[in-house]
Amino acid sequence: MQWPEAVMMRLGDSLPPDDLPRQFANRNEMEATLRQLFPQAPGGLSPIQGGRRAAETALAAIDPLAYGRSRNHLGGAVTLLSPYIRHGVLSLAEVRETVFTWLERSKQPPAAAQKLINELGWRDYWQRLWRQLGDGIWEDREPLKTGHPPESYAAALPVDLLEARTGLACMDGFVQELEATGWLHNHARMWLASYVVHWRRVRWQAGARWFLRYLLDGDPASNNLSWQWVASSFSSKPYLFNRENLERFSSGRFCCDCALAGTGCPFDASYDELHSRLFKAVASPRGPH
Amino acid sequence: MLNPIVWIHAEALAPTNPALLAHPGAPAVFVFDRELIARQQLSLQRLGFLYECLLELPVTLRHGDVVEELLAFAQRHGADGISTSQAVDPRFSALREQIGAELPLEVLQPEAFVALSASADLRRFSRYWRQAEPVLWARAGAGAPPAPTRRWDR
Repeated sequence: MQWPEAVMMRLGDSLPPDDLPRQFANRNEMEATLRQLFPQAPGGLSPIQGGRRAAETALAAIDPLAYGRSRNHLGGAVTLLSPYIRHGVLSLAEVRETVFTWLERSKQPPAAAQKLINELGWRDYWQRLWRQLGDGIWEDREPLKTGHPPESYAAALPVDLLEARTGLACMDGFVQELEATGWLHNHARMWLASYVVHWRRVRWQAGARWFLRYLLDGDPASNNLSWQWVASSFSSKPYLFNRENLERFSSGRFCCDCALAGTGCPFDASYDELHSRLFKAVASPRGPH
Repeated sequence: MLNPIVWIHAEALAPTNPALLAHPGAPAVFVFDRELIARQQLSLQRLGFLYECLLELPVTLRHGDVVEELLAFAQRHGADGISTSQAVDPRFSALREQIGAELPLEVLQPEAFVALSASADLRRFSRYWRQAEPVLWARAGAGAPPAPTRRWDR
């Protein structure tokens, strides 16, 4: 295969033909080279840096107690370890040991680390399921509990969503963050997924593929099975949120500049009301947790 | 296998990769999987992150068909086999079969998060966690887990 000339020059004479370059003056130069190597790839480099050194820095900074207390808030003390765990830069066993060491040193009661250990368990659970199900993670695990037939869900994502111009400051903000950084807070992922599947009535697979394209931690098992959890094909009820919930866990940062904050916010309702608006089946009201 | 190459894949980008540890100094290779990257339309964010992880490992980088590239790399180094670590992605199993048909392939197991029996109940997270949580906390020397966890706390 023939590399573009600029890449060939960087390769120099020392590398065998077609070995990819490993020497870059800086991150911009690496980005330019990657654009030539992967001309079809959308986007640009994430501000989140790859590599074992960055991973160890993030691991040394974890605060399991603060994580357990604030993880559901967009500004909470989340660990940002997921991209490194996803690609085995850090093993789950290694993170587990770091958490238990933190517990010993901090002299905190075991409950202080329980939430973080629990979330590591989620990652392990999804991986075990993937081993068991293989490509079955792309299919509905169970029938949907929304009262809508599977064929009533659109196969593709709506263009206004992909272009971040739904007019909803929260959703447009999440789309922009996803595509710019390759990372989204877990709660934002849940809200965005719920909006896509239940408000826009799109098949979860379309959303799952989109997330996998961008998320640095994009793991087919964690990703798809979480989309299925939101959609209700891998849970007993569809996941819904409302404005009050989103506003609380985002400290109102989106609603304050949203054109639809006054009237027209599709999330500004009680769970009962949203449930009867969005789903056909008459069932008991659903909360967020 | 006396003279293997090491195959690094995207689930094991650490210097603690068991195949790298088992064969220090052996030529190692990572292949950007052309077919998978095109099919999933992976973004530059993702590819760049992988690339930065790889630049910190002693590994040759290639882009193309994984099986062809691995076999060519083995030939280039006169290798008598390939050593790698177990991956979960079903694509790994398919590649493993194709490669194994051509050259001896050793697949090493990474350390587990928690040791559970193969027949562990995985129908819901709560069932898995009821089995896993006590094992994890026993491992920590902290005895029983601190308090019962809520069923669907997400």
